[in-house]
Formats: sequence, C-alpha cells, structure tokens
Amino acid sequence: MNIIEIILLPLIAFVIGIFFLGLSRKIMARIHWRYGPPIAQPIIDIIKLFNQRSISHGSIFNLGIILSLAGSIVVVLFLPLGRICPLSSSGGLLVVLYVMLLGPLGIALSGGEAANPNTSIGISRKLVLSLGYEVPMLLIFLAVMTYYKTVSIIEIVTTQQSMGWSFASLPLLLSGIAYLLILPAILGIRPFDIVGAPQEISSGPMVEYGGKFLALATIQHAFSLFIGIALFVNLFLGGAGDAFTLLERLLNPVGLGCIVSFLTGLTFFLKMLVVFVICLFINAAYPRLRIEQAIKYLWKWPTLFAFAGLVIVLIIRR
Amino acid sequence: MSLQLLLIIAFSGAFITYLLGKLSHRLRDSFAVFISCALVVIIALFYGKSVGKTFYLVFLDLPLFLGLNALSWFFAITIAVVGALSIIFSLSYIRGKERTDFYYLMMLLVNASMLGIVLSGDLVSFYIFWEIMSWSTFLLISYNRGNALAAGMKYIIMSVIGSAAMLIGILSLYATCGTLIISEIAVNITSASSGYILFILISFGIGFGIKSAIVPLHTWLPYAHSEAPSPFSAVLSGILIKMGTYGFLLIMYVVIGLKVFLELGSGLLNFHYILCWLGAITIVIPTFIALLQNDAKKLLAWHSIGQIGYIILGISFGTSLSIAGGMFHILNHATFKALLFLTVGAIEYRTGGVRDLNSLGGLIKKMPVVFIGALVGACGLIGVPLTNGFVSKWLIYKSLILRGYPFLAFFALIGTWGTILSLYKFLHNIFLGQLPEKYKNIKKAPFSMQFSIVIFSLIIILFGILPGIPLKVVNSIVASFGFEPLNVNLWGIASETGALNTVNIFAAIIVAGIVVWLIFKAGRKAVSVAQDDNYAAGAYVPRDKYHYTVDFYNPLYRMISPFLKDFVDKFYTKLAGWTRNLCSGIRRLYTGDVGNYVIYIVLFLALLIFIQLNWSIW
Repeated sequence: MNIIEIILLPLIAFVIGIFFLGLSRKIMARIHWRYGPPIAQPIIDIIKLFNQRSISHGSIFNLGIILSLAGSIVVVLFLPLGRICPLSSSGGLLVVLYVMLLGPLGIALSGGEAANPNTSIGISRKLVLSLGYEVPMLLIFLAVMTYYKTVSIIEIVTTQQSMGWSFASLPLLLSGIAYLLILPAILGIRPFDIVGAPQEISSGPMVEYGGKFLALATIQHAFSLFIGIALFVNLFLGGAGDAFTLLERLLNPVGLGCIVSFLTGLTFFLKMLVVFVICLFINAAYPRLRIEQAIKYLWKWPTLFAFAGLVIVLIIRR
Repeated sequence: MSLQLLLIIAFSGAFITYLLGKLSHRLRDSFAVFISCALVVIIALFYGKSVGKTFYLVFLDLPLFLGLNALSWFFAITIAVVGALSIIFSLSYIRGKERTDFYYLMMLLVNASMLGIVLSGDLVSFYIFWEIMSWSTFLLISYNRGNALAAGMKYIIMSVIGSAAMLIGILSLYATCGTLIISEIAVNITSASSGYILFILISFGIGFGIKSAIVPLHTWLPYAHSEAPSPFSAVLSGILIKMGTYGFLLIMYVVIGLKVFLELGSGLLNFHYILCWLGAITIVIPTFIALLQNDAKKLLAWHSIGQIGYIILGISFGTSLSIAGGMFHILNHATFKALLFLTVGAIEYRTGGVRDLNSLGGLIKKMPVVFIGALVGACGLIGVPLTNGFVSKWLIYKSLILRGYPFLAFFALIGTWGTILSLYKFLHNIFLGQLPEKYKNIKKAPFSMQFSIVIFSLIIILFGILPGIPLKVVNSIVASFGFEPLNVNLWGIASETGALNTVNIFAAIIVAGIVVWLIFKAGRKAVSVAQDDNYAAGAYVPRDKYHYTVDFYNPLYRMISPFLKDFVDKFYTKLAGWTRNLCSGIRRLYTGDVGNYVIYIVLFLALLIFIQLNWSIW
C-alpha cells in the first residue's frame, strides 16, 4: 500500500503540475485574446525535448539538474494529499522547508558550472528573491506551527477537519492573507518573474539548458508549482477530505472506499485550481518588478501581515 | 592508561616534535602525525569510562584533580580528531615555510592544552590550561606577521580581559566554597544566594563569551580566523571557540545545576532567556555580515560566530531536545567548519595565497576533490538534509517551536537563509563559473590535504544519515545534567510530537535520484562542450571577463549594508583609543627628572600627614 502511494503521489503531482503549466498558457492566451496552444502542449514539448540534441558542461552540470528534480520529488512525498501521505511522519514541515532547498540548489550548482554570466545573474536573483519571500514565509509557517503546536503537516490537516480551515479561523487569517500575497513570488510568476526575465537575461538559469536538460527543468518547474500551491492548500485550506465523513460511512462497508479517496483527491485538486487561477490573473495584470522593488514589497506588507499574525497567535496561545 | 599519562604524552609530544625538527624534517612530520593520531586512539579507548584522579602537588595548598566523564570525553574526542586531521593537512601546507618547528610545537601545544581544559576537574588546573591555550593561540595567529600581528594582538587583549574576569569568579568561588574542585563546588554552591550565582555566571560568562565570540564580545574573531594559517583556522574555528561553550556547559549545568540556572531571574528577565536572545542576535547579525565579505576566510569566520549563536541558543534554552541539539551542533560545527577552512587552505596553497572571492573561479575542473569537500561542508553549514548540520538544527528549531518561542525560531531559521546565500557565493566564486587564464595549469591538491578533506566529508555525511551514533553520547551527557533522556535510535529521534527519521529521507532522495537519473539517461546523449561555447555561439570572447562575481548580490547589499556595520568593534576601537590617551596622559607624570619624583614623594607624604591630622585614621 505504502509503495503504491510512494509511486502514485509524484505521478499525480507531475500530472497536476504539467496540467497547470498548459492551463496557464491557455488562460494567458485567452486574456490576450489569442487562441493559445492546446493544454497538452507542455507534455508534447517534453517528449520532443527528450529526443533533441543537448549540450553539457561537466558532471556537476548533469548532477545538479538531477538533484534538483529528485529534491522536488522528495518534497512531494512529504506533502499529504488527502489520504495519501507516505512520508509525512518523518520530520514534518521543518523537513519540507529544508528539502525544498534542494530544487533551487541543484539548479544553482548546475547553472554555475555553465559559466554563463546570464545564468549567474539569474541565480543571484533567485537567491535574493527567495531570501525576500522566506522572511514572511517563515513567520507564516511559525504561526501555523505555534497555533497547532506541532511540526507535522498531517496533524495540521486533521486538526483543520475538526476545527475548520485555518484560513477561515480568525487567528490565522492574517497569516493566510500574507501567504497569498507572497504566493506569486514563491511560484516565480509575474510580477516576480525576475529570475527568468527572458527579455533581460535570456531566461537566466535556463539559458544553457537544451534538450533533455530543458525537459527536466520544465518538469522541476511543474513540481515546484505543485509544491507551492499544495502547501498553501494543506496549511490554510484544510488539505483534502473535509465533508466526506458521512459518505465514507455509507460507502466503506460496500467496499467502495476508494471512491471517497478519489473524491478527497478531487477536492484537493479543485482547491489548488482556484488558487492557481487567481495567481494567473495576477500574472496577467502586473508587469515585472525590479529585484529591489520586489524585496521592498516582500519585506513590507506581507512581512507586516505575517508578523501581526504570529503575534496574534502567540497572544491567543499563551 | 591514566589521565596524567595522556596529558604527559600530549605535552611532551609537542616539545619532542620541536626538538626532532632540529634533526630532520621528515622525522618531525611523522612524529607529529603519530602523536596526534595516538591521542585519538587513546581517547577513543576511554569511551564510556568515568575516571577521576586527585594528585596533590605543592601548589597553593590546593589539590589538583583530573577527571573524565561523558561531557569531557565528547569534547576530548572532537579535539583529538580535528587536531589530528589539521596536523595531517599541515604536512603539505606548511612545508617550505619558515619556522615550521615552531608551528608544529604550537599546534600540538594548543591541542594538548585544550585536552587539559576538558580533563581538568578543578578550577586551578582549568585556569592554567586555559592560559596556555590562550597564549599559544596568540603565537599561532600572529604566525604570518604583518596583519596577523595586529589580529593576534586584538585576540590576546580581549582574551586577557576574559581571563581576568574568570579569575575574579574563581577567587570568589574559593572564598565562598573553600574548595576549587568542581564537583565539590557544585555541592557547596546550592546554598548561595541567587545574586551571587548571577555574579558568578556573569564573571565566567565574560571569559567564556569572549573565547566563544558571542555577539558583543566577538570582535577578535573575524580578524584572527582570517589571518591565522588555514589548518590552524580549522582548529580555531572548529574546537578552540568551543572551549567557551564547554565552559558555559560546565558552569551552567555542572557547577550551578539545571534547576537553579533555569529559575534565575523572573519572567522575561530570566537569565537563560536573555542568553537565548544573545544567541539569536549572534546568529542573525554575523550571518548577514558574512554575506558582505569578499575574503573567503573572513566569510567563514563570520559564519563561525553565527553558528556559535545556534550552539548558545541550544544549550541555554534548557530543554533536553535543545541541549542535545546544541551539543550535537558543537560536534557538527567542528567538522564542517574545519572542513571549509581546510578547503580554503588547499585553494590558498595552490593559487599562491589567493583567497579573494572576486579573483578566483572555475576551479572545480582543476580540484574536484576539494570542490566536493567544500560542497559537503557548505551543505552541512546550511543544514541540508543528509548532513549532520540538519539534524542538530532540526532539534533546536523543534524545541523552540514546541515550547512556544517562535520568534527565537524565526531568528534561527532566517540565519539559515543568510547562510545559503553566502555559502552559494563562496562555492560559485571559487569553484564554478569561468576559470581565469592564470590558473590554467593549476594542479590538484596534494594527498595529505585531500585525505583530511575526504575524512571530514565522510564524517559529515555519516552523522547526517545515522545521527544516532553521536546522539547516543550526547544523550548520556544530557541525562547526566539531570534532564529527561531522549528516545534516540540510530536514525534519528522518536517522540510523540513528530519524529525525525533520517534514513527515510535518505532512501527517498536516493530512490528519487536514481529514477531521475534513469530518465536522464533515457534521453538523447548530451554533447560535452567547452564552457563558453554556447554563450559566445562560436565567436571569440575575451577570456576572464565573463565571470559574474563582484557584488554577487548587489541589490541586496545596497539594501542591507547600512544596517550591518560592526558597531561593537568601532566602540571597542574607540574605547581602546581613549584608554591609550588616558595612559599617555598618566605617562607624562614620569618625566625622568629626579627632582620631580622627589616632589611627588614629598607631596604624597604631605597628603598622608594632612589626612592623619584631620581624621586620625591610623
């Protein structure tokens, strides 16, 4: 059972992430009054890229990209998705915070060996931007962990099923808003697409990637989209599987428990979809910020909200 | 094997090495390695034993006492291992330089005196060994002369102030308790008032705080670490500054005792709570100052202060989880920071003393082993999962969060992100990017350097995957302080409130890595090309011009650098200036003219007579 979950979870994450990539191109096109590519375009691209020629700059160039994707897959294993939570008991949110490092770190090492100034500039921007959003993000995570008195994501999700979503509860409302405010920065979409910035630094860390390297980088991007949104859904929107207890009682004796599992997965997906579409609208509406402007924004309103949220939680929990 | 013999071997080994150096350099080198490795073996044989021995010497009528328990064994083995590996590293690093005999003498003397510190069971021998350590360290820091001399001077002045404060504490303890044997003081001090205990904590705290470089007392460290010879920087940052934390553990939990210590003060003004905040400040400010450095060793030196912050935060927070985390971090920091200094040493050795982050680059192709060492060390310092740094930091964070101190946890976590930024800059500017033309023909690091680097890397990864090995020892120490022991197993910590299982993480990363690697292999094979092939698209590009290193995080620098000046250092420098002016003012009294001195004496006698006439004191 556990083995099946371990195989299933990254596959689901992959499908959802790739779907989101395709969907974003489609929705952006419709907002621009274009027809847009088919939703399956990213998967077509990936298959094509695997058959194309590519160049390599050395062993760290190869290993870095592998490490990056492997790290993202491991993060997914730590995130509970409804009933499926294979590794969520080995360390919790703190481990997720740290394993999430491996993705950018792998790309950074790999890109560093390419010796292309555009890559280095892109990586320096990525690290500065992540320091920017990490300040409010840590405050938010600490507020959640202090409020629920645990570091385990699965416990946070189950508590929300009895107590209601954290986003709807008063003490964590400010933290939730702060998370929404930094979500575009976490996902790296406009106004925070500073890292790639195709018109300035030729898509930054990606510039040396071609063929299968670009394919793996795209898959990693899909995974990171999934992780960013799934964390929000798990921590603030109750994860998966609320409101199905009655149905479960009906269906379990008949042996149709898997339907409930499917339904919980579906609600999880729908929640993610809503959040992602909101982010896409922001993406369509705003122009790109400069890196200083981005940090100034991130360290102002979201940090203020997250800080206030943490103080409120502390007062309530004392 | 008794403890005296151990110390006699350690000290006499140092002097014999010096004398052998007069005969033959080869003999001296092999003897130095032999002595330092023998110490590792002997101390390892003491594992799990508890030995104590009093030997009466005619010294101020005080009994001197040597003792070994779990705490001192833990420190002793760390000292011996880091010491031995730096000696091995020195073999090629120091060869051909001047005064090599003196260098080995001092290296071994520092090691021996640190062993003396952790093995001494009374405060007199503790103080004597402490002073031997301070002075031999001073001589080694200023080994390179020039700037190093000023750095060493700064170190020794602060160190003397610290020892003076400690001496006051020792004398006052002798006056109240009538003994200087640590275990007896611990019994006698229970009746002391809390004001007195605070006094003892502060006077010892100044001494230990200067040695371990807690924030307002840290200013000697960045200069000393960057100017010392690299293998000694490894010792300095790896274990010498840990002697301060050893002192803190000794005074807080062995002498004063856990209960009294944790209840000293009230509310937010609790002593251990204030110490926690000092630790948190020590984490954040130095870590972000490190971000601004362009000297590889200075960058690492500032991180040493930052990591000491984690240790102080862990050990002064005072739960079994946090103390275990803090003590484990002592060991971990010794391994990865020593490793990082050694890698910089290897770079320095091959590039002719260059450690400026803006003028290196692309060395991964030339020194792959050193790069792997630096990568592992950097991952450990950041605390990437599967390195030992992750486990200790996880323990500290978790105890802070569960006890409801999220702001302390926030400071600790944000320090980690500062570490990532500066350590990536470190790796990128030295090893990645373009290889400058002048380093085209650089050779690999010599074997003795690679050996130490590889051993340290292996230790870091081993303790990261199986943290239970060191945590077992740490756990017995924590239990000996009177805390509830943790439920430790080989691959992490089991507890009701969220377990840690490093083997699961390890397996997940390995399996995911293999799967991705297979997918990678299935794609069409990549063509290996030169570094500037793609960027220049076949056209000529002038070399050496396309390495983005200077001001690597420029926008961030501009935002944060106004807030990150070392105000404390400036204050101390001013203080030193005032003292100098005052002293030179006083010096004017000494004119050298006998007539003036006669006048002083006459005036002084007149004053005495005047006092006697008016108040008749005598």
